[in-house]
Amino acid sequence: MIFEIGTVCIKLAGRDAGKRCVIVDVLDSSFVIIDGQTRRRKCNVLHLEPTSQKLEISKGAEFAAVKSAFEKIGVEVTETKSKKVTDKPTKAHKQHEKKAKK
Amino acid sequence: MPRGMFKSRTLRRVFRRLPSGKSELRYEQRNPSVAHCARCGAQLHGMPRIRATKLASVPKSQKRPERPYGGVLCSRCQRDMIKEEAREE
Repeated sequence: MIFEIGTVCIKLAGRDAGKRCVIVDVLDSSFVIIDGQTRRRKCNVLHLEPTSQKLEISKGAEFAAVKSAFEKIGVEVTETKSKKVTDKPTKAHKQHEKKAKK
Repeated sequence: MPRGMFKSRTLRRVFRRLPSGKSELRYEQRNPSVAHCARCGAQLHGMPRIRATKLASVPKSQKRPERPYGGVLCSRCQRDMIKEEAREE
């Protein structure tokens, strides 16, 4: 099988298209879990283009292990963190700020 | 009779209901044509057909698909291009 744990792939579909990822886990014949430049997520193998490169990672490897493995082959990986949810400033808050400025 | 410039169909005709209840004929500029894929010429989805002035008030994420080449290539051509790039390496 082409899609084994450790195979470096390029994502073809969606907002992560063109980014490099590695297969972390194989769920069944059509679905795998990927991580790397993309977000860590379940993915259909039809949306992946396998490359000849392989990484030495264990099944279900955490992001830190994936990152260090990618750095060995010279691929930069940055952690994709979700934005912190901040409360929108209320009207009263804005008025208070205006007064403070005066 | 309409004014000379309004006799051509360059501007489209719109009937607007006024607060008084009467309807009035107005002339508006036509909407832009459907966007097409730069590679295969297929119609692109998710591209709003509204005038540039109204487009300014639409969020960027609603103006084109969020993937690479979104709004330029159709999804099939975009996949093919990335596949070709990957296989050239």
